[in-house]
Amino acid sequence: MKTLSLSALLLCVMCVLVMMNLSFGAVSLTFNDLLSGFQPTSEFYFTIHEYRLPRTLLAMLVGGMMALSGTLVQGVIRNPLASPDVLGVSHGAGLAAVLLMTLYPDVSVYWLPWTALCGGLLAALVLWLLCGSHSSAIKLAITGIALATLYGSLVDFLMLTRPLEINNALLWLTGSLWGRGWDQVTMILPWLILVPVAFWLAKRINLVQLGDDVATSLGVSIPVTRLAVLAIAVGMTAACVSICGPIGFLGLVAPHLARRLVGGRHQILLPCAILVGMTLLLLADLVARTIDPPIELPAGIMTAILGAPYFLWLLFRTK
Amino acid sequence: MKSFLQKLPFLGQCIALSFLLCVFAWLSLFTWSIIPISGTQALSALTSPNPNNIAHRIILDLRLPRVLIAGTVGACLAVAGAIMQGLTRNPLASPSVLGVNAGAALGMATVSTVAPWLGVFGTSVAAIIGGAITWSLVMILGTAWRGGNEHGRLVLAGVAISALCAALTKAMIMLYEDQAVGVMTWLAGSVADARWSDWQPLWPMALFGLSAAFLVGPTLNLLNLGEDSARSLGVKLGLVRMICSVLVLILVGAALSAAGAIAFVGLLVPHIARALTGQDYRKILPLTAIMGATLVVLADVVSRAIIFPMETPAGAIIALIGAPFFIYMVRSKTS
Repeated sequence: MKTLSLSALLLCVMCVLVMMNLSFGAVSLTFNDLLSGFQPTSEFYFTIHEYRLPRTLLAMLVGGMMALSGTLVQGVIRNPLASPDVLGVSHGAGLAAVLLMTLYPDVSVYWLPWTALCGGLLAALVLWLLCGSHSSAIKLAITGIALATLYGSLVDFLMLTRPLEINNALLWLTGSLWGRGWDQVTMILPWLILVPVAFWLAKRINLVQLGDDVATSLGVSIPVTRLAVLAIAVGMTAACVSICGPIGFLGLVAPHLARRLVGGRHQILLPCAILVGMTLLLLADLVARTIDPPIELPAGIMTAILGAPYFLWLLFRTK
Repeated sequence: MKSFLQKLPFLGQCIALSFLLCVFAWLSLFTWSIIPISGTQALSALTSPNPNNIAHRIILDLRLPRVLIAGTVGACLAVAGAIMQGLTRNPLASPSVLGVNAGAALGMATVSTVAPWLGVFGTSVAAIIGGAITWSLVMILGTAWRGGNEHGRLVLAGVAISALCAALTKAMIMLYEDQAVGVMTWLAGSVADARWSDWQPLWPMALFGLSAAFLVGPTLNLLNLGEDSARSLGVKLGLVRMICSVLVLILVGAALSAAGAIAFVGLLVPHIARALTGQDYRKILPLTAIMGATLVVLADVVSRAIIFPMETPAGAIIALIGAPFFIYMVRSKTS
């Protein structure tokens, strides 16, 4: 009952945020303008249909997928500090995408998600090779962050040696939703197919949480489950990164908030984490857009300002 | 090369490394210039300057302050890293990893965007205050003073605070400035725009910080024995930590206000110095200063060469060497 009412509340908050995202910005619209704005005859049709609606949708999709992949990673590695961006997967995917953009500027953007996916998988593989499966929570996190630093400095280097497109690339890399439209929404839609697969695996993730021995004796193949879940998480992260760059700390914070709200059962936790992620990114993007219009801050900056203190608090509590 | 240096007595090492520094500084004076300058011209500009000679003007007005600032900044950051490693007994400690750089950058960005009338002195003070706040936060959150095997936690606390400060800095800069390129260059750390006006506030702070750092060397040696032994040998732990922290902040603040946030010098160089002389901080600190200067001067030369005639920030070059080293250190030093 508590879970149900909490989810309903979360949905309400999210709907309010969606409305606010659609109505506030460089031009603020009233509620009536907003409703009539969906008709092609309205003067605000262009603003809403071409700018705010795709952007809001994208914030929901990306926020939800980032949160989901964070929950999956934390679920199977049993490490409260893990998330795709802490483990360097986001930055690996970002590096691959930047490499593609700088080395082959003429290639179609539809290759970006796939390149990012390769980069993310490679980054995950490198981390796995360096750490193995028996590292402590802190060592895994710190190796991941060291790798992320390396990828980040490579990206910086690439961008600084090709300064012409740096303004655009900088906005892209700090995790911004600026200038994204229907193209990007259609690019990310196919990846939603991974969401039901993740839900299907929820029960196994619950068993993995019990510990390797217990899970094995209950008939769950630990390596297969872990590999499948991590692959899904990396895939979703890469898709998000190729659309709007690494949005820091979202995949770390959302699962923790969701777990505090509804507990650790993944059948409920996964949908709840998606809702929390959507809400957080909608909020971050709203604040980033409206803080000083028409200047826009990247939403990734807002999530970092929210998420970094939370990470510190987690670190303080982790034994 | 390394084993040859290791066998030399300490004074010999100092002389050999200083010679290397002088060679790189000399190279930095004349190489990769749009107007061709020869090596002998570089020397004659220093000994008998002729204001009508264009090569001499370039060397004296542009290249010389650049080399001096690069060297001083490198020495400051490297010594700050060595002091931090001695103080926390954590091999991963350094101004960039523990968030002092990011905090100082945030302080500077705040002052230069919100209150630009405070001028150069104001930004330096803001850098020191910003660095001090993050340094104390990291220390409290990472529970560093308890020492022991908490290497990783301290670093993670530093990384998180760095991320927070970096986000705030970027937000502030984007709200107030138009050009992202300049900001990126500054955040990566560059000495390309160094002039004599930057040298004026840098050298007194650097001179004071470096000479005071050499004086705390013996105390750092005692600290390395462990807290209890140090205390029983008469070291006032609170006072020493206070003084060392202030020194670190002065050094980092001076370096940042002159050249931006050059990362990894403070992590990389003390370890090389330790490999050369062992654990004695009386020897590590001078060697660290010389090698830090050499590294940044060298990186500056490379940064001009890499996409000549354009400039890459020297900090970006050092990060390419420093980040893999950071991974290596994490692998070998955390459990």
